[in-house]
Amino acid sequence: MPATSHDVMPDIELYQPTDEENALELASTLGDDGWIVGGGQDTYGWLKDRNKSPAAMIEIAQIDAWKGVKETADGIEIGAVTTLTDIANHPLVQSKFNLLATAAGKVASPQIRNVGTLGGNLNQDARCWYYRRGLDCYRAGGNICYADSPEGLNREHAIFGASRCVAVSPSDTAPALVALDATMVVASASGERLIPAQDFFVGPNRDIVNMTVLNEGEILTAVRLPNEWANAEFYFEKVADRNVWDFALVSVAAAIKVSAGAITDARIVCGAVECTPRRLEAVENAIRGQQRSEQLADQVAAMATDGARPLNYNHFKVPLMENLVKRAIRG
Amino acid sequence: MGEIVRYKRDVWGEEVILGVSWDLLWVVAVAVLVLLAAHAIIMAALANKKMEKASSEGRRVLRHETIDRLFHWVMAASILVLIATGTAPILGLRIAWLNIHWIAGLLLTFVVVFHIIRSLFWQDFKSMILGPKDFGEPFDSSKKPGKYTFEQKGMHWAVTVVVLAVIVTGVLLFLQIDTPFWDRTNSMPEDQLGLMFLLHGLSTLALIALAATHIYFALRPEKLFYTRSMVSGWISEDEMTANHDTSLWSPKEAD
Amino acid sequence: MAYRLIGKDFVPPDVPGKVTGRIKYAEDYARDGMVYARLLTSPVPHGRVVAIDASEALAMDGVYGILTADDVYPDGEPQSTGLKVLTNEPTLMGEPILAVAARDEITAENAIAAISLTIERLPFVLDPLDSLQEGGDNAYNGGNTFIFRQGFAEEKWTADQVASFRSGNEPTAEAQQSWEYGDLEAGFAASDFVHETTFSTAGYPHMSMEPRSAMAYWENGKCYLHGTSQSLSAIAEPMAAIVGVPLEDFVFINEATGGGFGQRARAGSIPSMAIPAKLSQKINRPVMMRVSREEEFTIGGARQGLQGWVKVGFKRDGSMAAMDMYCVSDNGGKGGGGDANSAAAGVSALYQTEAMRFRNTSIGTNTGHRGAQRGPGENQIMAIMAPIMDKAAEELGLDRLEIRKLNAAQNGDVSGPRSTPFTSAYMPEALEQAATQFDWEGKKGRSRQKNGAKVRGLGIGQGYHNAGRSGMDGLIRLMPSGRLQIHNGVGNLGTYSYASTSRAAAEVLMMEWENCDVVTGRTDRHLPITSPQDGSNSIFTNTRTCFGAAQDLLAKMKEIAAMDLGGDPADYEIDGSRIYQVADNTAGMTYAEVAQRGMELGGKFTGEAELPEELNALTALSVSRLAGTGLMGIFHDPRHNDNPPGFTVTFTEIELDKETGKFEILDMVTVAECGTVVHPQGLANQLRGGAVWGIGLSVLERHLYDPQNGLPASSGYWQSKIPTYLDTPAQIGTGWVDLPDPENPVGARGIGEPSMGAVSAALNAAISDALGGHLFDTAPVTTDMIINHIAGVSEEATPLAQNNFRG
Repeated sequence: MPATSHDVMPDIELYQPTDEENALELASTLGDDGWIVGGGQDTYGWLKDRNKSPAAMIEIAQIDAWKGVKETADGIEIGAVTTLTDIANHPLVQSKFNLLATAAGKVASPQIRNVGTLGGNLNQDARCWYYRRGLDCYRAGGNICYADSPEGLNREHAIFGASRCVAVSPSDTAPALVALDATMVVASASGERLIPAQDFFVGPNRDIVNMTVLNEGEILTAVRLPNEWANAEFYFEKVADRNVWDFALVSVAAAIKVSAGAITDARIVCGAVECTPRRLEAVENAIRGQQRSEQLADQVAAMATDGARPLNYNHFKVPLMENLVKRAIRG
Repeated sequence: MGEIVRYKRDVWGEEVILGVSWDLLWVVAVAVLVLLAAHAIIMAALANKKMEKASSEGRRVLRHETIDRLFHWVMAASILVLIATGTAPILGLRIAWLNIHWIAGLLLTFVVVFHIIRSLFWQDFKSMILGPKDFGEPFDSSKKPGKYTFEQKGMHWAVTVVVLAVIVTGVLLFLQIDTPFWDRTNSMPEDQLGLMFLLHGLSTLALIALAATHIYFALRPEKLFYTRSMVSGWISEDEMTANHDTSLWSPKEAD
Repeated sequence: MAYRLIGKDFVPPDVPGKVTGRIKYAEDYARDGMVYARLLTSPVPHGRVVAIDASEALAMDGVYGILTADDVYPDGEPQSTGLKVLTNEPTLMGEPILAVAARDEITAENAIAAISLTIERLPFVLDPLDSLQEGGDNAYNGGNTFIFRQGFAEEKWTADQVASFRSGNEPTAEAQQSWEYGDLEAGFAASDFVHETTFSTAGYPHMSMEPRSAMAYWENGKCYLHGTSQSLSAIAEPMAAIVGVPLEDFVFINEATGGGFGQRARAGSIPSMAIPAKLSQKINRPVMMRVSREEEFTIGGARQGLQGWVKVGFKRDGSMAAMDMYCVSDNGGKGGGGDANSAAAGVSALYQTEAMRFRNTSIGTNTGHRGAQRGPGENQIMAIMAPIMDKAAEELGLDRLEIRKLNAAQNGDVSGPRSTPFTSAYMPEALEQAATQFDWEGKKGRSRQKNGAKVRGLGIGQGYHNAGRSGMDGLIRLMPSGRLQIHNGVGNLGTYSYASTSRAAAEVLMMEWENCDVVTGRTDRHLPITSPQDGSNSIFTNTRTCFGAAQDLLAKMKEIAAMDLGGDPADYEIDGSRIYQVADNTAGMTYAEVAQRGMELGGKFTGEAELPEELNALTALSVSRLAGTGLMGIFHDPRHNDNPPGFTVTFTEIELDKETGKFEILDMVTVAECGTVVHPQGLANQLRGGAVWGIGLSVLERHLYDPQNGLPASSGYWQSKIPTYLDTPAQIGTGWVDLPDPENPVGARGIGEPSMGAVSAALNAAISDALGGHLFDTAPVTTDMIINHIAGVSEEATPLAQNNFRG
């Protein structure tokens, strides 16, 4: 048995490109050996515990082109290395897409938000503690799930969409972006592609070792929010054990358009219930054309958890998710 | 060339088998392609010396009953689906493969069990027995086989062994995932689990090789009439007498 | 009494260093040639090291050496529970097996990764009840329990006995430990309301900000160890013994400790500090060993979890007539902990139970090292008891404050198995004061009031701990400069008690605080023995020693004055750093002059003769090294009588959201009953800090282990769910009764631990209130449990499960 070690950074190359081309070239050249670092909040734990051992880090936080919030013809574009604090406090985000500002402001703790980036929050890896401990589970390329068993500690895990792996999407901003119908801008040395936020995240049934569709050499560089959902009626709530520095047990992000008292369109998304943000299309369809009310909320909440398959210790997520959806609809 | 077996650390940090090394998939693919290509070239070179092809016209005899043909094609389809879904994530295709895989696996298991029972009680089991005598057949052009040629018997039994291996290991692995019928447990020790994955992987590789070989021969011109018989059930009397010893196989006439 | 210093706020001498970050903790020190040690810890929860192959590691550039259990224990490891320096027989995952020293931590880690460890895996167990059951695995090599003076033993119940307990019944097996007073049967017979339930409380680790990092070096045969502790002087001698060096050749340096938590009080709880000392001795270089947070979870301490059964009977008037308690205590991987006994004694003290029986069986599990953690036992049980008190009040139609007042401890009351009297007790006053400060009368009508999905809950909690010891030594010196040097070995944990207890000496001598120096921080500054700074004892214990030493000094000053200026010592008084005749205040000497004169006289005045008998060895060593350097006050404190209690009362109001299971603490007030208040700001800090801990115990903190493989799920702060700023109220009201205790010269008693217990009790009571009186009978009550209760959902958890989710 080899010895295990923890909590000391290994010797590792650090690249700090200051322009896009250089970063994309490095990402392409290094491939799997390169680890993209934004604020580093998801990175250093992995590396210090030596549970992931890339040969090099490519820190992209110094690339100005991928930073900041700017208005576009059709909405706004947010650079992927913009800090969560900057997003939460940005007047443009607050005034048009307050759903995202609120969600960004609920991530982790102020210290982490000050350095953590939007891209990092979206691309962060699963928080299942078995996986984080460095165990060779499915997500780590192994052939077993330690959490999905009668004895496994699976209180924080998935109630939907599990496929061997039962980890959930830990991001607070991801449900908000799906609700806002954002588009992810993904760049690589060979060009750029645009991916709807909803398709950016991937579940274990399709890819058990990655949480996004990013390929080797690709970098998420920006997120575009279309004006279509600007200034809709928004609702975001995150329920976690602690009020700071914790991951959601369940979160909800909703964008609802109301005209003359009736809901004309809605996008409702839950976090921490599945490996990807879970869009509740059945609920959206059911409330379209209805008056926003307590009664409506009560009527449709159960649809939100239709098909849920709780594990041994996360049955509570079912009523919690229904309650959060109710609150989102009630407003 | 990579290793044959992949290892991982179990929960205690000890090295256990993870499964087969999928580098072997390429090794198998290349080896099969090379061998089959070599066979094709040699056959082409020998083609002139070959006898005239037997005519498919005339009286027809029944080679495969409908139920057996149906079995064959269901099995073939399920195996191809299993191979495709099983190798998709290895090839990096992001598809939701697992449910299709185990449903196809269940189907395969079901039809194989059906076939075993049928072959033991309702079919001429002896016709498929591969005895010591059969091994002389390829070297003696005067010897003709009964219903099945030496190669066919060989293929059948090789497929039997390999399919039973993928089924047994597959069913054990099936028990390790959540399904509508049960919730998974971690009751199988990690080293045993790894061994199951290894055997499943090795038998899959063998099955891929066999399937490729089988398809190749099924498509060869001189064997095509067998393939036709697996579709329509019959071969011509000419084809029968040219290739089989009628004292050993006397099929009834086809409808 | 009008004091000059006692009861006044001041700036303790370490505060500027803490505010500016300049104060040094163990890992802030460096030494020429210093190398770094890292630990290889057990990858299994229970095992036996078969072989260690470090040849590759030791051949690496920059690797200086290795220390294994064979180096530490050449004659074999001690066959007992308790932490070892290093071990070949780990009984919990993460227990240190060896240490490697290298030029830097990366090299040390790389070396550790190159070591091949062969370890035999042994069966492990995580829940005491699983081990108790016939055929269940044992945590230790030789049994599942350790009996003092007898060794390892095996304790087994039948499967039916375990199943019956898990399903809510009184355990029927004979307990290892028991005591009883009063007529239990008669008590229950006289009761109008009897409540019986099983309960469980979670064990969870210490969360001190400073891990157990240590640095050591040897110079001229002396070992210098920079470490952490809850008392410099109490730890010195046993730590020297662990390192294997005579006390006179051991220097322990510890200016500040980033959190005590209960298990830095005694050397046996932090033997890991000996690793750099031993390694340094072996490789002849200074060795720094920084301990990671994850390592802290295993080589640090953890609170015991309790699985218990209680039956409580109340008379019609609300008095607690009988209490029967049976606990199974989780002794973890390294044994230890008396939480259950303290829990029972705490109930007896707080509720003045007329008849009581306590039974307990302690069982090992392959989990963290259990032992004392702030209010061990009392603080867990109060979170269980407070909602039961409320249920009794509701059933008997009494006000929740009134039932507590009725059962409250007062002067003359006794408690515990030996009916020990309190030195003084003013719990009714504390309840009354807290009720007034909180406005109980005004707010109690809000109980269970609904506002949409939200509902109000009110809770009253009480805390208790025995809070004072004696028998220690005091040592002060008046210097020719006129300054007073107060030698104090109390640890500097952030409670400031090292400084506030020192003020008792200054008070006696009527010294300006500016003219006093607290001498502490390292044992070669020559410290008197103190009790370890645990059990909320310091303020009581060490004001006695400082007060006594100052009185000794004062007597000597008067003797010198009388000798030089004539008259009788009794004719002299002090003030303004002068000693003078009462009749003629021009006839006197300054403190500087007295000190100078004392030094000329020598002998008993300077610690060279007539020392008090029974001085502790460490104090005697310190006195001998200081002899002749000043006019010395030396005191050995005789034993006090009775039980000095620390009492607290907390009132809280919460608003619980029934849709999310979350709640907000709207108001919280804690009032202390701890005798005379010595340092109001320090006390307020204790009460607020204790409140944060209490919130953690009540609703958040846990340490989970995977039942499949024994892996600890918590390896950092966030997984352990310690409360954050936004989980605690912005304002926590504080107050104190401030009535003197007769057994302490300044009237003070301790308070550190009860400040937590009252809050955990109040919060659990408030949650129960908000949920219409539902009793969870467990702590912590987490968000998921609240949601499940409201939704009528249940998780598939094992009843009374320990070290795992309890559903």
